[in-house]
Amino acid sequence: MNPAMLAPSVRIQRRTGGQRRWADRARESAESLRLHSRIRDEALARAALEPRLARLGDALLRSPYHARTLRRAGFSPRDLRSLDDIRHFPLLDRETLRRRWAELPALDPADRDLELVAVQSSGSTGRPVTLLKDPYDCVHMWAVLAFWTGWLGVTLPPRPRVVLLCSLSGGIEYSVRLPLVDDGALHRISLVRPRALERLLRARPAVLFADPDGLHWLESRDGLPRPRIVLSSAQYLAPEQRSRAAAALHAPVVNYYASTDTGPIAWECLLSHGRFHTLVPDVWVESVAGELVVTRLRPSVLPLLRYRTGDRGEISPDACPCGYHGWSITRFTGRRQCTFLTPDGREADAWKLAWLFKHYPLHSFRLTQRGAEEFELQLVPERGIVDVGDLRDRLETALGRLGWARASVAPAVVAAIPCTGEKPDPFRRTWRALPA
Amino acid sequence: MAFELKRIQEELRAAPLVSPYPLDLSVAIVSDVFRMAGVVPPARSTWAGWTKREHKLWGEQMGMLAHALASTSLREETVRALAPRFDPSGALGPFFEAVRPLTAEMIRANAFRQEEFLRKWISMVGGTIAGESDKESKKRVAQLDYRQTLVEYEKAEAARKAEAERRAKLLQQAAQNEAAARGWRE
Repeated sequence: MNPAMLAPSVRIQRRTGGQRRWADRARESAESLRLHSRIRDEALARAALEPRLARLGDALLRSPYHARTLRRAGFSPRDLRSLDDIRHFPLLDRETLRRRWAELPALDPADRDLELVAVQSSGSTGRPVTLLKDPYDCVHMWAVLAFWTGWLGVTLPPRPRVVLLCSLSGGIEYSVRLPLVDDGALHRISLVRPRALERLLRARPAVLFADPDGLHWLESRDGLPRPRIVLSSAQYLAPEQRSRAAAALHAPVVNYYASTDTGPIAWECLLSHGRFHTLVPDVWVESVAGELVVTRLRPSVLPLLRYRTGDRGEISPDACPCGYHGWSITRFTGRRQCTFLTPDGREADAWKLAWLFKHYPLHSFRLTQRGAEEFELQLVPERGIVDVGDLRDRLETALGRLGWARASVAPAVVAAIPCTGEKPDPFRRTWRALPA
Repeated sequence: MAFELKRIQEELRAAPLVSPYPLDLSVAIVSDVFRMAGVVPPARSTWAGWTKREHKLWGEQMGMLAHALASTSLREETVRALAPRFDPSGALGPFFEAVRPLTAEMIRANAFRQEEFLRKWISMVGGTIAGESDKESKKRVAQLDYRQTLVEYEKAEAARKAEAERRAKLLQQAAQNEAAARGWRE
């Protein structure tokens, strides 16, 4: 496979002047995150968030979809006066977001220079969703990065280099200026292209974004770079893998919870595993029958009111030993943890196999452990033909590395994979080992 | 007489409406409440007039009012609040006008519209809300007034129509910007 052949044609945004105009707002956002995460008293914390509701209400009124939906159910955007009011409002699900994306934006009549960007979610957790973002939405992540570096006491060097270590099959790579991060530079480095480590070392990243696949890839190599901070998202990151990555890279690993739909939502405490601190005041998170529901309190052209993430978790007020005060997600199974059982009775993180599927044009897949060494693989191709035999062989090899000497994978191409919740479960285990 | 609004709402939540109240039954329940307070209810002809003249939601609003009176402490508190010289025929007309856009479904399922409906009833019978000053209650009723919201929706709709062309252009540009977005968003 020639990765270069896989890379789609992309144009890279290089208008750094345009990015610079958001510097003040990004600074204010980072500062807001810092201030809100230090408010000890819950009543005060709520009171500090509630003024944002009026602005959200105005945006809802300007959004054709929200205005119509709220009017039909007899709601008024002015009913949003306290955080407690939010729970009475209707939920927005992913399928509606996918179908009605063009009707959701709230245009500000005063902002005559407004530009929008249509962004597609990766689809790795369901059917891709088209989202409209305003220019600040596109750069907000850098404000959140500034908050995290401040929180962890990490000092970045002047003109820091930020690397996105990418394991997607597209093989896209680019380098651009990054004015919002202290006039630094952003390099996207693809793991599917040859000599990725060489390029990574040459980039000397101060900030390294990866996903668990990327971290897994790094752990198996020598002579790694020394970033000041590492960030991982998008998939379940096992605590042992996080510890190993932190030790290998000599840097704190921030495991954050975000989606293209909502932006960053929370980050996992570095002291207390499984406790995800929410990024107030950007978002307000509820748990509705165990599902995490996000309301965006940060101004955006795309107002999100009670958006069903499809991820599971509980939310409660928190005064964490790490110093965070606010609301934290616990029992988070958003990225759908799944363990397979090896023939010798060990648990293996099924998500370690996720990287393999990124090399194939799939709409969705599901790998189910049905026996000690028997796996069923359901595939829904996205386009063209998927080399099922090749995928099965690679999967069996990968399972071999995880502890299955004689894994047997039975692949089947299907029209659709039933999804019970908002998002599919790509890994499942229906087999239980007999008691010894 | 101070009404325990939160308790009434909780009682209402605990008493789901199984089927809509027929109009005759609703009229009888509301009239009985006036009688219990020693107040002469509106005459049969007055009710008949409202039935003919009032808007299409009036019947279902009467049904929800009857349900709230029959299944919560709103009835007892209303009876206590009503002054003997209360004129229901004169007071009910403005009440019906004040709740005009509220459907039975809104009053049943929407916490804000239910609160608005109850507050306007309490205000009509001369009651107050426990724990609130008159000023606070008036402010809250003004906040909740759905008639005002409908005016805002109409204005917003007109503004959206006026900017339809701009919206279409922005959406078109957004699709073109997609390819050029990398380097910013990640």
